[in-house]
Amino acid sequence: MGAFSMITDNPRPRPRVVVVGLASCFGCQLQITNSEPHLMELLDQIDLEYWQLVTSEDMPDAYDVAIIEGSVTTRESEDLVRRVREKAAHVMAIGACAVTGGVTGMAENALARRVGEVYGDAVPEACGQMIEPRPVDAVITVDSRVYCCPIDARDFATQLQRVLFGSNAVREERALCADCKRNENDCFFNQGELCMGLVTRAGCNARCVNRGRPCFGCAGLSSAANLDSTRQACERYGVPAARFDKALQMFSQVPLSQAGRQGDDEPVAGTAVGKGAR
Amino acid sequence: MLYRVMDKSQLPALVRGFMESYEVVAPVKRGERYVFDTVDSPDQIALDYPQTASSAKKYLFPPVEAMMRFDARANLVQDFVQEVKPRVIFGAHACDISGFNRLDLALAQGKYTDPYYAARRAATLVVGISCMPTDTCFCQLMGADEVQFGYDLFLYDIGDKYLVSMSSVEATNILEACCEIAEATDDDRRAFRLATRRHQAAFNPDIPHVEDVPMLMDVFHFDPFWDELGGRCLSCSACASVCPTCYCFDIRDVLQEDSDAGVRERTWDACTSPDFALVAGGHNFRPTGRDRVRHRMYHKLNGFMVNHDRMLCTGCGRCVAACKADIDPIQVLRFFDEKGARDDR
Ligand code: SF4
Ligand code: SF4
Ligand code: SF4
Ligand code: SF4
Ligand code: SF4
Repeated sequence: MGAFSMITDNPRPRPRVVVVGLASCFGCQLQITNSEPHLMELLDQIDLEYWQLVTSEDMPDAYDVAIIEGSVTTRESEDLVRRVREKAAHVMAIGACAVTGGVTGMAENALARRVGEVYGDAVPEACGQMIEPRPVDAVITVDSRVYCCPIDARDFATQLQRVLFGSNAVREERALCADCKRNENDCFFNQGELCMGLVTRAGCNARCVNRGRPCFGCAGLSSAANLDSTRQACERYGVPAARFDKALQMFSQVPLSQAGRQGDDEPVAGTAVGKGAR
Repeated sequence: MLYRVMDKSQLPALVRGFMESYEVVAPVKRGERYVFDTVDSPDQIALDYPQTASSAKKYLFPPVEAMMRFDARANLVQDFVQEVKPRVIFGAHACDISGFNRLDLALAQGKYTDPYYAARRAATLVVGISCMPTDTCFCQLMGADEVQFGYDLFLYDIGDKYLVSMSSVEATNILEACCEIAEATDDDRRAFRLATRRHQAAFNPDIPHVEDVPMLMDVFHFDPFWDELGGRCLSCSACASVCPTCYCFDIRDVLQEDSDAGVRERTWDACTSPDFALVAGGHNFRPTGRDRVRHRMYHKLNGFMVNHDRMLCTGCGRCVAACKADIDPIQVLRFFDEKGARDDR
């Protein structure tokens, strides 16, 4: 990182940035616009050359930073991210789909069957050559990540600043509950309800639990996630471990099966399965 | 120490008296749990709370706190002047006051004073309230069931009245101005003694007293028990968030969106977090749950003792509820208790 330093240069160099959307709901790109009061301040610091959400133009040929939303689900998008990697000095993956495979990653297991169920024999051409959904870093090296579904606008700004100025800040790898307890929420397990905070990477400030809903795990698995112990914890609090395993599929299907385990029908074995993504 | 008695009916007047010149924070019921929060009326206070989910530490050592501001363009640091609100923590149990006193040892009375903590502590009055132990309280084993200092007033429930221990001029003045107080009678003293006895008798007998636990921990440093206990840690640090005496923090710089300026802030951190012991060069000197949980328990039940002659754990029991993996100091006490019983055979 730190490709575009440094702080005291005035005016600062403005990196050329492209924003690319792959298989996703485009919600994370939209979240960037939700920085509203600060959007212009952010845009002032970069040369935004291409934003897929707001243009039908083609992507330019030269740029410094590529921000990628969405998972890779086709051969075509696989080629696209490879081309992007060749051109960009820095690739940032934003949102659960790009970082873990996210919701689209649920189709990773038994893709052919699922395609058959939806399209029968007549797969439309627009679908492209479908492959199992995968996060961007399953195809190319990713330099930085913004977690969650959708991303948080402030978190995005922070990561962008780290690209602009360089940073040696360490991303926390612990699970979410410390944040939840700081906010003095009651724990869902005390009511016998499942919450994925026990294995989910911290960083979102437990925003769902703060609003009264359990964590779904959209930030992805902490690299220190302890799945076996979590299953035992679930059972202790009256939550069947199988429900936990099922819930893991929503955002962590791909990382779990990449780790050589099945996340679908059989329970996932083993303890630390995080990808060490950082 | 000076003692007086006051009728319980005067409590609202006392709270209102404090409210005239202080922000009052007190235990309040929120859903199924109790938390310390700002109150604007005495009615909101739930003084008979069993235990709050988190401690009142947050008022002396906030989860996130600005340390200084900087101007990134001019490369200038601006001194950060901290505004400290004069505040009363109303209704702290003995264990939590003892927790403040232990934090003082680490942050205000050590070789280096933490100015942020010290300023808040100095601007905060503490009014204690007697309690009845819950199933997970073991403060009596940690020397935290009684406090002799560290508070301004302490209210002992003796039936219809409070026996009030008065320890600061500031709070005594407010007490005398707002409430009618009287000298304690022999009946009051008897009631106090009975209440104290009831309190002592109410502790959970299943939590064992292990006299020499610090020494035992040293002797059994490599016992497989630590693998078992730490092996189930979820690396979530919920324990440290709720703990009244955890004082570790991380420091980070936060740029405002236009990147022209920013704040250096500190934020709670904990030794149970996987990258707590990650140092330059990428070496992590406590890479496993076993290493981290063992360290936590050592600091609580051994290391602080060595330096300050008391446990860092106050036995408040909060981590017992917060930890979903069943890891807490009681497990350590049980292990050594059972091991002792086995070895005696
Ligand atoms: S509610 Fe969820 S995030 Fe909060 S402590 Fe419980 S498991 Fe952790
Ligand atoms: S609480 Fe969980 S589901 Fe909600 S934003 Fe945070 S990581 Fe995602
Ligand atoms: S000891 Fe318990 S509460 Fe603390 S980090 Fe480990 S699992 Fe979380
Ligand atoms: S270690 Fe647990 S019981 Fe001891 S003071 Fe901290 S939260 Fe309370
Ligand atoms: S137990 Fe850990 S987090 Fe708490 S004060 Fe000690 S070293 Fe810090």
